[in-house]
Amino acid sequence: MSGRPSAGGLRKRPGTGSGSNIAAKGGAANSSILKFYTDDSPGLKITPVVVLVMSVCFIGFVTILHAMSKIYQYKMS
Amino acid sequence: MSSNFRLLNLVKPFLPFLPEVKQADRKIPFREKVLYTTVALFVFLVCSQLPLYGISNTSGADPLYWARVIMASNRGTTMELGISPIITSGLVMQLLTGSKIIDVDHSLKEDRALLDGAQKLLGILITIGEAVAYVASGIYGDVRDMGMGNAFLIVLQLFMAGLIVICLDDLLQKGYGLGSGISLFIATNQCESIIWKAFSPTTINSGRGTEFEGAVIALFHLLLTRTDKVRALKEAFYRQNLPNITNLMSTVLIFLGVIYFQGFRVDLPVRSKRNRGMVSNYPIKLFYTSNMPIILQSALVSNMYFISQLLYKRYGGNFLVQLLGRWQESSEGSGQLMPVGGLVYYISPPTSLADIAANPLHAVFYLTFMLSACALFSKTWIEVSGSSARDVAKQLKQQQMFMTGHRESSLQRELNRYIPTAAAFGGMCIGMLTIIADFMGAIGSGTGILLAVTIIYQYFETFEKERAAEMGGFAF
Repeated sequence: MSGRPSAGGLRKRPGTGSGSNIAAKGGAANSSILKFYTDDSPGLKITPVVVLVMSVCFIGFVTILHAMSKIYQYKMS
Repeated sequence: MSSNFRLLNLVKPFLPFLPEVKQADRKIPFREKVLYTTVALFVFLVCSQLPLYGISNTSGADPLYWARVIMASNRGTTMELGISPIITSGLVMQLLTGSKIIDVDHSLKEDRALLDGAQKLLGILITIGEAVAYVASGIYGDVRDMGMGNAFLIVLQLFMAGLIVICLDDLLQKGYGLGSGISLFIATNQCESIIWKAFSPTTINSGRGTEFEGAVIALFHLLLTRTDKVRALKEAFYRQNLPNITNLMSTVLIFLGVIYFQGFRVDLPVRSKRNRGMVSNYPIKLFYTSNMPIILQSALVSNMYFISQLLYKRYGGNFLVQLLGRWQESSEGSGQLMPVGGLVYYISPPTSLADIAANPLHAVFYLTFMLSACALFSKTWIEVSGSSARDVAKQLKQQQMFMTGHRESSLQRELNRYIPTAAAFGGMCIGMLTIIADFMGAIGSGTGILLAVTIIYQYFETFEKERAAEMGGFAF
């Protein structure tokens, strides 16, 4: 217990090195439901922009489907 | 050694076709991370409002009603499946690796890539399977009425949406965003419903004149229009059929309570061997497993509800099926089925004080079930996810850290004093809070609000950490 006071003084050193590292990992049992690792794997590489463009295209596609069906119904009647 | 057949190798041929977001090759600034997260959120929100094309009806009982919260899904929209494929495949893979059915050498890069690929592949397959099952089971109307073309289009839309969710989640996880897609989407879905129930401008005519759906708006509306102000206040606070102010207040109360409990932790002082004098704390939180027990518990319960409902609909006369659960349409006329008997009735929350008085056994059984299930799931989860005392001790040893005042060999024993207790007791506390939230009538459901708060708290921590890292980066 004699080491505690001096240690307390040193603890105030702002986040350098491994000390803050493990503190960050503490109790991180929650975030691992999906990913085991975040390494690169030999998949079909896409950039984040492609993902976003893809989603916008998808939203556009569904919207157009809705619009088309409305127009079609209008013309029929 | 590697001559025996490995399940994981089956994934290999598919690896080149799985979409994969490129690892960030530079440090993404905080501001950019926020931007990516916001855009991902925006896409999710739009998708969960956009109705599916080609469906003919979405009325009647919703067999997945109970699973909606953890699946972040919205009925009849392109987010019908939500994150359920990801969660399911994640859970399945965790269980398979945890129980050593699939053996993975975690130190091999190739193996890790395969595992990642397997999970993604399973997620995509589940998406297709669920989409086909939904359409075939006639949730969107009879397939013969819709026509094959429309049925195909619905499956295609659901599949595309599922793929986008997987990609968005990958994007956030690969270091472009904050947190994970799953938690972000669950929390957003829940917060959206809280905000909507508080401020919804929709009016409903319920026989006592038009009323606003939103609790806060209704309060002002009632106070302004009614002549008897006391009655108006009472009405705004206690109306039964629509969200009222008490619901809103209990939501806020639970929110604050959970945040208060999040701060409970034991700090174990650890010291580095490499650079002497480096001292830091290894915090063991009361909520060691965070919201995991609740996710697992509600996944279990909602699956049981789903199966029991389907069985009861088809073979309602069977004794065993009745033992599992009997269902009845709720009295509010929404067509939603409620459990009224059997096992599922006893694991469903009591709806009111009168309900408890009428059947105290139900309440007691529910309480015991919730608490023990949460504690049990929490304890299993630390083993499965690799955060048990043994794993933490190994991890600390790898970083050459040891505990102040203890020998190296006793590190695991010392951790073992805290971690299982924290996990079990924390799980029970989370379960208890869920019950309280449910009982107080918090908006959404107890599970939903607990999930939302814990996720928001995690985000808050991430934010602070990122900020601190950025500040540190500037300082040096």
